[in-house]
Amino acid sequence: MIQQLFGFLSYYIPEVMCVVLMTTLLVAEAAVKDEHGKRTKIYTYALVVLGLTLIPLFQNLGKAPAHIFFNAVTIDTFSTLIKIIMVMGAMGSIILSFSSKDIYSNLKSEFAILAVGVLIGGMLLASANNFITLYVGIETLSILSYVMATLKRDESTSAEAGLKYILYGGLTAGIALFGMSHIYGALGTVQFTEIYDKVADLEGTKLWIVIVSSVFFFGGLAYKVSAFPFHMWSPDVYQGAPIPVTTFFSIVPKLAGLTALVRVSMVFFNNNEALTNSWVALLLVVAGMTMTVGNVTAIGQNSVKRMLAFSSIGHVGLMILGVAVLNEAGFRALIFYSIVYMFMTLCTFYITSHLNDMYGTDNYDVFRGLIYKHPVMALVMVGTLLSLAGIPPFSGFVAKFSIFNIVIEKKYYGIAVVAAVNAVISVYYYLRLAKVIIFGKADGAEAVTGFGRLNQGVIVAFFIPVLFLGIFWEKIFTLAGSALIFIR
Amino acid sequence: MNGILNWILWMPIIGMIAVLVTPKAKENVIRMVALASTAVTLILSVILYLNFDSSTADMQFVVKIPWIEHFHINYFLGIDGITMLMTFLNALLFFICTLSSWTVDKSVKAYFALLLMLQSTVFGVFFALDFFLFYVYWEVMLIPMFFLIGIWGGENREYAAVKFFLYTFFGSIFMLVGIVALYYATGKGPDSFNILAHQGGHFVNEVVRVFGFEISFEKLFFWFMFLGFAIKVPVFPFHTWLPHAHVQAPTAVSVILAGVLLKMGTYGFLRIAFPIFPSAAVEYSTLIAVLGLISVIYGAFCAMAQDDVKKLIAYSSVSHMGFVMLGISAMTTQGVNGAVLQMFNHGTSTAMMFLLIGIIYERSHHRWIVKPDGSLGYGGLSTKLPKFTTVFIIGMFASMGLPGLSGFISEALIFLGIYQKFTTITVIAVIGLLLGAAYLLWMFKRMFFGPVNPECENYTDLNAREIFYMVPLCICVILFGIYPSPLLNVMKASVGQLVELLAKF
Repeated sequence: MIQQLFGFLSYYIPEVMCVVLMTTLLVAEAAVKDEHGKRTKIYTYALVVLGLTLIPLFQNLGKAPAHIFFNAVTIDTFSTLIKIIMVMGAMGSIILSFSSKDIYSNLKSEFAILAVGVLIGGMLLASANNFITLYVGIETLSILSYVMATLKRDESTSAEAGLKYILYGGLTAGIALFGMSHIYGALGTVQFTEIYDKVADLEGTKLWIVIVSSVFFFGGLAYKVSAFPFHMWSPDVYQGAPIPVTTFFSIVPKLAGLTALVRVSMVFFNNNEALTNSWVALLLVVAGMTMTVGNVTAIGQNSVKRMLAFSSIGHVGLMILGVAVLNEAGFRALIFYSIVYMFMTLCTFYITSHLNDMYGTDNYDVFRGLIYKHPVMALVMVGTLLSLAGIPPFSGFVAKFSIFNIVIEKKYYGIAVVAAVNAVISVYYYLRLAKVIIFGKADGAEAVTGFGRLNQGVIVAFFIPVLFLGIFWEKIFTLAGSALIFIR
Repeated sequence: MNGILNWILWMPIIGMIAVLVTPKAKENVIRMVALASTAVTLILSVILYLNFDSSTADMQFVVKIPWIEHFHINYFLGIDGITMLMTFLNALLFFICTLSSWTVDKSVKAYFALLLMLQSTVFGVFFALDFFLFYVYWEVMLIPMFFLIGIWGGENREYAAVKFFLYTFFGSIFMLVGIVALYYATGKGPDSFNILAHQGGHFVNEVVRVFGFEISFEKLFFWFMFLGFAIKVPVFPFHTWLPHAHVQAPTAVSVILAGVLLKMGTYGFLRIAFPIFPSAAVEYSTLIAVLGLISVIYGAFCAMAQDDVKKLIAYSSVSHMGFVMLGISAMTTQGVNGAVLQMFNHGTSTAMMFLLIGIIYERSHHRWIVKPDGSLGYGGLSTKLPKFTTVFIIGMFASMGLPGLSGFISEALIFLGIYQKFTTITVIAVIGLLLGAAYLLWMFKRMFFGPVNPECENYTDLNAREIFYMVPLCICVILFGIYPSPLLNVMKASVGQLVELLAKF
């Protein structure tokens, strides 16, 4: 028994490291006195340990997939890849929070602690193999997220964001739990492995119970990935929360939710035709609506953060298509998309954050004439916007291409056309910002301060993959292609 | 000789890098570097022409390097007779545009870097034989165009730049759906992104389901491709972006836009939409011809109504590209030959018109034939600017299609071609020629004849640089008007193969 547990732990080193990191951070934060020096030390420590977790994660990529902790958790290449992306995204937002003025300086170490906590929840969610783990993952993720949203506690927008988040979160978690309990009632198990077998010959009333309760259950996950019609919280939360938190929210919880969605889809809905059809129809409609609502609403925004929030809803719509095809090619495309999306998000939010620190607002106006004030950052921003819009030679195009690819492989031409129209809409609002940056007249000629050498280096480092994954994407695509979902 | 396409394709990029590393303050060095780069490209394309074997319709100077093996995407270049002409036109026009852009003094470095990048992407579109590569170049081209129009354009440049970008992107995203659908229709094999392997009507019997309706694969994706290319040409009713883009763009960019970028649309029909979906193309050829006809007539009427001379030429481009659409929709040897020739000739003659308008704009800082207050913007230019007038007459008559100049040959061939297929359309299209003569001559009368407008008193005539870059175009227009065989011979085999393919359906 003990030996078995140690065997499991060899798969679980990254998570254990994160838990140790979080607890030591908590102790360190309380124990060490000196305010500024402490912060630097805590940040360095957190980043180093998070960087180190990447090593066992990459080692896990090479191992055979396994169910550990008596089928509670699955470690397979798919979840491991997503965890790698989440860890990198968390590191990126922690680096951003260090220099951001949007987070009160006495709360910065708290941000790092909470971020690691959410990351742990995300990792748990990504490899959950039964309903209990899944629900615990969702809740760990959510409860810490509510706190993060209110980090800017002196401002009413942040408090509003937190309250909205918690109300929506509580409601959808309840709905999801309701759905889960009915599925348990119908199938008599919470283990995904057993469910996979049991749904195969499901029919009659039980089938209907499972179909209806899976829709309820979907609500819980859709809320986490901010899919239509559970997306309403996300713009307010994104705008109200401090920018590093927004960056973090648009990467870690979103990817965790998508991973859980992929796993659930593969387990439940790939083994019974009636179930598959209803689920795919649901996902296609949700994906189409999510894209359309996100992109159309993004057009009218004047706050860049809010625009990016809506645009990320649009991107989630495309990513859900990667789930809806219910095959390996689909979630491989999803992983590639996630990698690219992470880098693009980090780039745009970094630059927005620094401008926000300087001017105190994230309105489009602060970008006006950026090309004259800070050419390098302006070009990086425009490049990233074009990439988000899916224009070659940037990586966003390849990501979009891979999604089109899998959708058309399944011959879902209708949704492909919807996605195409959405791509055009998204180009419009990204260009609107690019236009302000490049064609706008700067009010003053003064150069933008705040882009220190280090920050510029970090931003360019995030931009390099955005550019190069659009041209030399074979290696990463092959890596994403090695992703496998282990069911039994 | 095999790597020469690589050199032509990447030479502008080398030039762009050279421009970028030159210090910002040395504006003349930057201009010289850009000129040198385009000159080398022009020389290379002449060498290409001299080595071109016009007896075969096969792709020549082929380069094929695997790019993304997972999807069988290759870096696959090659040219045939049709692209040979376009290559030469592109190299020539960019050389001339670099010279004509000598007077640009706003962010010189960025301007020439973007211009050179644009040249490379246009070459890429014409050379690419891999569908993915084609699409990448087709889209990347939007980036330099967006900035060139948006930064160096006229008062309303931002609107024009965004409109241009969105319109083209709208068309091309549907093309992307078509490209991916073709990839799966051919079974993801090693040739799934190979444009040449798709040609020949392999998809006649395939059926797809869209929102529950059964539609022929060939017809559906023919229209997807059609949308992408028709917006680029532009064919009525997709032409509304063109006047804005042309009027707002700086002179050199207008020249490039009318001279080569519009040809990418018709080239797409000839290389992709027609040969890959031949039976749909044949089935809808009447509709395409009618759209071409509307472009001809409607474009001409719109041109006649313009008070802005640049807008007038922009609408005349719609009209002239309508003739190209008529020629290719005929699917006869003369028709397609005429269309390809018209692509080249329109490139040279419209380039002349836009360059001359740019030259006069530098002197007058307005482009009104009739100002909004009703007075004439120009007048009596022929007495004040004799050299300018001479060149203008050559360009104008060439685009009008006067016998002896290049436009005549191509339009005559197009009419010969379509008469065999669509008699009524031919008869109506001839009115387009008449209208063309009317709006051009009317414009000429108001600008060049009559009493000398006091504002035009101190305009200077063409200087040596301007004469230097107008001469090659004059030679092209006159020479190919009298002796078009160097052009016709080059494309004969390739056009013949296309017509033969279409005749089977």
